[in-house]
Amino acid sequence: MTTSNSSPSFADIDAVVQALQGAGYFADRRLATAVFLALKLERPLLLEGEPGVGKTELAKALGWALQRTMLRLQCYDGLEQREALYEWNYAAQLLHMRATELQHGSSAASVEQEVYQERYLIRRPLLQALQTPAPGAVLLIDEVDRADEPFEAFLLEYLGEYQVSIPEMGTVRAIAAPVTILTSNRTRELNDAVKRRCLYHWLDYPDRARELAIVRARVPQASQELSAQVAAFVGRLRSVPFAASFQRVPGIAESVEWAKALVALDTLVLDPEVVADTAGILFKQREDVAALTTDLSAQLLLPEDATR
Amino acid sequence: MQLGDARVGKFADNLTGFGRALRRAGVQVDSARMALAAQATLAVGLGTREDVSAACEAVMVSREQDRFVFRELFDAFFRDPALANKLLAQMLPSAEGKAEPSKRRPRVREALAPQKAGARPGEQKPQDRQVDFDAAMTASDLARLKHADFNALSGSEYRLVERLARDIRLPMPKFAARRVRPGTRGARMHWPGVMHHAARTGGELLHLPRLQRRHQPLPLLVLVDVSGSMERYARLLLAFLHAATHGLRQRDVFAFGTRLTDLTPAMRIADTDRMLASASLAIEDFAGGTQLGESLATLRRQHARRLVGRRTVVLLITDGLDTGEPAQLTQELDWLRRHCRRLLWLNPLLRFDAYAPLARGAATLHARAHGMLAVHNLEKLEDLAASLAALMKR
Repeated sequence: MTTSNSSPSFADIDAVVQALQGAGYFADRRLATAVFLALKLERPLLLEGEPGVGKTELAKALGWALQRTMLRLQCYDGLEQREALYEWNYAAQLLHMRATELQHGSSAASVEQEVYQERYLIRRPLLQALQTPAPGAVLLIDEVDRADEPFEAFLLEYLGEYQVSIPEMGTVRAIAAPVTILTSNRTRELNDAVKRRCLYHWLDYPDRARELAIVRARVPQASQELSAQVAAFVGRLRSVPFAASFQRVPGIAESVEWAKALVALDTLVLDPEVVADTAGILFKQREDVAALTTDLSAQLLLPEDATR
Repeated sequence: MQLGDARVGKFADNLTGFGRALRRAGVQVDSARMALAAQATLAVGLGTREDVSAACEAVMVSREQDRFVFRELFDAFFRDPALANKLLAQMLPSAEGKAEPSKRRPRVREALAPQKAGARPGEQKPQDRQVDFDAAMTASDLARLKHADFNALSGSEYRLVERLARDIRLPMPKFAARRVRPGTRGARMHWPGVMHHAARTGGELLHLPRLQRRHQPLPLLVLVDVSGSMERYARLLLAFLHAATHGLRQRDVFAFGTRLTDLTPAMRIADTDRMLASASLAIEDFAGGTQLGESLATLRRQHARRLVGRRTVVLLITDGLDTGEPAQLTQELDWLRRHCRRLLWLNPLLRFDAYAPLARGAATLHARAHGMLAVHNLEKLEDLAASLAALMKR
């Protein structure tokens, strides 16, 4: 690996789990394996999963654990090379051209050389990631499915070789291979060429123990009882017979927000009424909020009490 | 095949064998990936099965829907040879019907089956062809279940649907969206482009690039009839539409018989088998009567916002044998027609040469729909895309 001594590198999968946990991220072993391989084999890691399962958080935690600069490229429809990679400062270039023409009749070649200097180059996240000195950066390419297909094609050179070609300057190679994380909500299927260059991991909703650990870590003010109830309730909400009633079930982000809200409301124990009052935090669609009736939340709460 | 005592050379063989089995099960694994998988397993070490499985999965799987096939196959291939043998035994014709049906999906079982020597893909083709829409009949005739009886696809059916979906991409007609892109026409200037060109020509503005609007496919709404007369077609048509319209941003699917069922969440599942299972679970009025008018009323009351700004193309898949109130049907069809770009009726009964929409419901549908297309066999399905485009131009 090209990492220097200042940035920690991981000897095995357990070390990855430990380090991520230190950064407040509770990864299961399969995810840690994928992260470990991404670091070891220097391959980009493509994370897919429902919204709010912690895809973006993983990149942040990894940046923290590795003590590397974290760069983020948020994708959107219509994202182009000049927002992702580099852009020339056109206004300054035009001024420069005018100035040189007024002073002396210099040749076209020398004008071009002067105009395309590094100081007129505006660096965007991809180029920044490549030019970050060792140990390199952590680059998060967030929600890559929101960008369009041509943008994916443009990413290929970066993902495959960690280099990009700028016509005016030549090829820019990575000083140290950046740790690259791509996330996708799967609003559309990504191109095979992108996937071939990446390792792949599907992030599932966490099991109850992991969710409880996350809620406890993120909302330490909540009582043990309450966070256990929150984790159990949301876990059951996502389980087979109940999930069918909703268009979109809440992710981890929602359960953490919910726990925070419950603490703010001084709730000690969940009851159907409190659930109904705060349903707007778990669900962001009117139909889903309506579907979480008092009866249903009572049903979701009941067996938990019975087992205790 | 114990992992612990396998030497690395032996393991590479096993890994290649596993990769080939995956490929047979429909997971795309190329040789570069197999090489990377070997590298990955060495990196994590051959200590625990779970780590090796996770490492192989990170490398060999690149679609969410392939994870389940991968895990089942991995378990069968590496953990328990006896289990694999049992699976193979179930493939024998004599055992079929008596043996407890395996919980594994058919694709995994087929991938584990011994390859017949000399069986070339070319020779298997005609067999694939025979698995026509009639294959649905054998299963659904067994019992009149309340829930839909959408079996998981067999290997040949899966390949058939995949092939159809690949060959017959349904090219949805486009409309000019709000998004813009640089181009030669358009009302607005593309300022970064202007500067860029000026920089190339010594600061002189010789070329003025513009911003023009992007084109996006129209939203799609599919209504599938799952009544008794339609059950033969519903399953494979759902599988086909699921695969063929996968990339569409806006695609809503409803099943109707005596009531309306929203299949959109099920259709969002990328794996076709799980989609069918989930749809079966959701549909509660399978193989019953048809109440098209009432179902459309439910659509209007509860899901009207799925019809986007009169842009939506509505595919109504039914044989038109309606048992509901004719007046209501007329009224609802009028409403639907007013609120969509095109209302297209896909009718499997068109397979009869002398078919004419004479039944009450069929006559109403024929009068209201913008067009009627046939969908009863593969050839007609291939025509669907073309007829769709032709009808949109009218």
